[in-house]
Amino acid sequence: MKHLILIIGLLFTGAEALMAQQISVKVADMTTKEPIVQAHIKDGPNSVITVTDVNGMFTVDLSKYSHLTITAVGYAPKNIHLQRGMEVIYLNPEVFRDQTELLVLANEEGEQNVHAYHNRTADQGMDQFLDNIDGVSTTKRGAFGWEPAVRGQSDQRMNLVIDGMQVFKACVDKMDPITSYVETNNLSKLQIDKSGSGVAQNGTGVSTVNLVTQKAESAPTSFNFSTSYRAPDQYRTVSLSGNTSDASGRNAVRFSGSYKKADDFRAGNDRTIQNTQYEKLNLNVNYRHTFPSQHSLEAGYIMDKAYDIGYPALLMDATKALADIGQIRFNFAPSNNDFQFNTAQVYANGVRHWMDDYGRDVANRQVMRGMYMPMYGTTTTYGAKLNGAATLFDHQFDWFMDAYMSDAFGDMLMESLDPSIQDMLIYNLDEVKTNNASLGFRHRIQLSDNVLMKIEESIRYKTLRTDSESHASFFQGLYGEAPGTRAKFLLSGSGSVLWMMNNNWSLSGSLVYSERMGNHMELFGHYIYNYTDGFFYDGNPWLKTERSINTDINATWETTGHSLSFTLFHKQYFNYIDGVLGTDSGSNDFRFKQYANVGDAVITGGEFRSFNDLGMMITLENRLSYLYAHNQTLDEPLPLMPPLKGNTTLHFHRGRNMFMADLEWAAEQNRIAEISSIEDQTGAYGIFNLTFERRWMDGDLTSIVSLNNILDHYYHTHTSIGNIPEAGRNLMISLSYQF
Amino acid sequence: MNIQSMLGRLMAVTALLVFAVSCDSSDNNDPELDLIPINSVTVDGYTVSLEATNELEIGANQLFWKIKQGDDTITPQSFTISPIMDMATMSHSTPFDQPETDAIDDSYLSNLAVFIMPSGDMGSWTINFQFTTQSGSDISGEMPINVNSSWKIMNTQDGNGKKYFVTWFEPQRPMSGNNDLTFLVHTRETMMNFPAVSDAEMIVYPYMGMGGGTGHSTPFTPPVATGNGFYEGDINYSMSGLWTTTVELVVENDTLPEMVFEYSVIAK
Ligand SMILES: [Cu+2]
Ligand SMILES: [Cu+2]
Repeated sequence: MKHLILIIGLLFTGAEALMAQQISVKVADMTTKEPIVQAHIKDGPNSVITVTDVNGMFTVDLSKYSHLTITAVGYAPKNIHLQRGMEVIYLNPEVFRDQTELLVLANEEGEQNVHAYHNRTADQGMDQFLDNIDGVSTTKRGAFGWEPAVRGQSDQRMNLVIDGMQVFKACVDKMDPITSYVETNNLSKLQIDKSGSGVAQNGTGVSTVNLVTQKAESAPTSFNFSTSYRAPDQYRTVSLSGNTSDASGRNAVRFSGSYKKADDFRAGNDRTIQNTQYEKLNLNVNYRHTFPSQHSLEAGYIMDKAYDIGYPALLMDATKALADIGQIRFNFAPSNNDFQFNTAQVYANGVRHWMDDYGRDVANRQVMRGMYMPMYGTTTTYGAKLNGAATLFDHQFDWFMDAYMSDAFGDMLMESLDPSIQDMLIYNLDEVKTNNASLGFRHRIQLSDNVLMKIEESIRYKTLRTDSESHASFFQGLYGEAPGTRAKFLLSGSGSVLWMMNNNWSLSGSLVYSERMGNHMELFGHYIYNYTDGFFYDGNPWLKTERSINTDINATWETTGHSLSFTLFHKQYFNYIDGVLGTDSGSNDFRFKQYANVGDAVITGGEFRSFNDLGMMITLENRLSYLYAHNQTLDEPLPLMPPLKGNTTLHFHRGRNMFMADLEWAAEQNRIAEISSIEDQTGAYGIFNLTFERRWMDGDLTSIVSLNNILDHYYHTHTSIGNIPEAGRNLMISLSYQF
Repeated sequence: MNIQSMLGRLMAVTALLVFAVSCDSSDNNDPELDLIPINSVTVDGYTVSLEATNELEIGANQLFWKIKQGDDTITPQSFTISPIMDMATMSHSTPFDQPETDAIDDSYLSNLAVFIMPSGDMGSWTINFQFTTQSGSDISGEMPINVNSSWKIMNTQDGNGKKYFVTWFEPQRPMSGNNDLTFLVHTRETMMNFPAVSDAEMIVYPYMGMGGGTGHSTPFTPPVATGNGFYEGDINYSMSGLWTTTVELVVENDTLPEMVFEYSVIAK
């Protein structure tokens, strides 16, 4: 009897302990506070533990699941650390998810099949990854550091950020697009806002690409180790990532690192392309602390070092490129207050870039003959961001504050082979300071059950100046007036409507107005060499505001297993900023342009993508993009515009095996700029790639073999500067192990 | 004495020091002459000293004169000079103005002198001076000086052999970026008379040779006559390094043979 009592007692206390671990939480809409039904509660990316009931409630065992991912159709997924006492979890509506605000998840696809950009990250670099997205192209200068362009707009006409942080290139020749600082093993998702309608957040109304990095998670310790080898360019890469958290889950750390090295690559027909080697190291650390109040603090640091990077399209190579990117971010716990904060972020980054032509035959080249010209550039940027939501007179809106300041320097030394000629030095940028502060608002208005409207607006104050007296004096000499500080108030706004016609069809449209001041190089650059037209460019501090109006319409059809999305856009530029012939230097070797407002330009085009589940574990993906870009003042095409291009991918899944066949193609480009640039026509091409992926050891080990450009086609893309060809047939083997 | 009061004193002293230093640096707003002594001679108890911003060189020089009786600087009723170069077979003067009370520091008399030849084996320079004291005594003397070579003066001549001297007046230290570009033009009437020429037309062309037959110019505003032999424009050097500037004078519709100034432009 005594024993029985003891056993019952034990059972009882055990049961009580067990009961106490069960926790019931409600999932609700951040905006409307309404419960969300059928939200998936997941432990890890694919394993659904439970779903929410009609009241938005779910119950889980806290002892078994402390870290959860919550997804729901129409909402942004949320990672959460579960705790006793937690009552409501709010999800942010992702109303315009399927439209031009494209969200590409780098790792797991989830159910949002329109976003299905297949997971080829294990063996694909960021450059290739971007190049295959519809509406995105890359400008190439060799094998490394492809510069992304959204709908033909790159650099100053798009906004490329890492976790929302501004990072300025240090190379005046654009060798260092900031996409190279986030390796795919550190990429959580890619937010692409092609139309720029996310004005409140991007502050500018221009096309935006946000590289969202992986954050530390309150999850059991995990590691991933992967390595790849590619022939014939001897590309080899090793990468490691790991995540761990303490028992309470309050402190979590994530680390990732990768090392890559490649020799010269071989284009089709066995032609080795000299000087396309590179070497790169990237490290990333992220720490997160979650407070009992559900506030959390994150600190992140990225260090990127690249060495000995060959740029066959350019006159020189990068010997060293360093980037240090740090941020601290505070995530506020959700609240029901009328005025609430979401996140506060402060960041700092520095980029340094050294390039030279000591390895080149300078005595026999056409341009800048007989001299070496080592160059150095650096940028330092500090910024802060704060955003939240507020309710005023029953109207709920999101607000965003963003401020940054940046300092840019760049010089070029010229050392003649002729010892009687003195060294010469040019300051391309000297103490050039950019300051920017913006305030944006986003309003979501439910017009009816199936019509949603979004209005965003932003006001921005931006200044540019040089603190170097001698640098300022160039512009005084050139334009007859001291530049001082150039300051402008810039407005942008957007309106978007989404009409969910029925369960399958949705239509959306947006209108974006944007004002752009011109960047530090367009205003204060001096003798910056432009490889696309062979001119040296001088800035113009008196540039007028460039304005644009973008119209976008999208139709999307979705059923289980199939989706089609079709987008058309039209962007009209006013006061388009471009180079015009400058003062005659009396020489054919040195020709100059100055930035000016040249008139009107238009970019119009469309994107199409489809995803079809053909059954039998076979899926088909198609992507297509087309651009028509015209400088209306010169009546000629805008330069560096990709032609009609696309790709078709077929996937077969059989148990642990995945087989993928991929066709990448582009039509010829005959619309070329001959006045504003010196382009030539580019022929059409099509290449075949095959990938075979197999999982071993219960999925812990993955092997990938990919054979690219199987037909060994010799070709170059239209946006390859200097017509540098693409890689010929190559074989890549990758192994990835996680534990 | 406790730590707090020590710290307090330390802070007070630091504050005072900072204050003193900032006061010291703030009263340097007035322009001040930064001169080096060139030479001085003593005649009848009066010491005449010559100072300048740099060692004297061919081209334009600002000369600063001071006359002292013992330790007292005196202001003469008049002071005139006459630079003479003594060469083996002849002697000649050079373009110059007579000294006047200096605008920045009235204890000096100052004048502009353009030396057209350097001292050396060819000959030597002397400045003859003459002044009348407040008491009416006339004093005169001579001061030997040394004139170095420089790139800052060139000459040309017309069909009749009439010489024209073109002096690079500004920038004295050409620097990357925009610079005032000023020339002085004088002609030689006689060996002792070198009047300013203000009615010529000036054609300039800056150029940087970069080796291998390549090179380029840079933006500039051609200098125009502004009186007293001055020609003013500006030049915007795109980069540092070795530059040439070709100058042609057009006098009475006659383009004289070109002169080429060659010089270094510093980065900053
Ligand atoms: Cu570079
Ligand atoms: Cu002589």
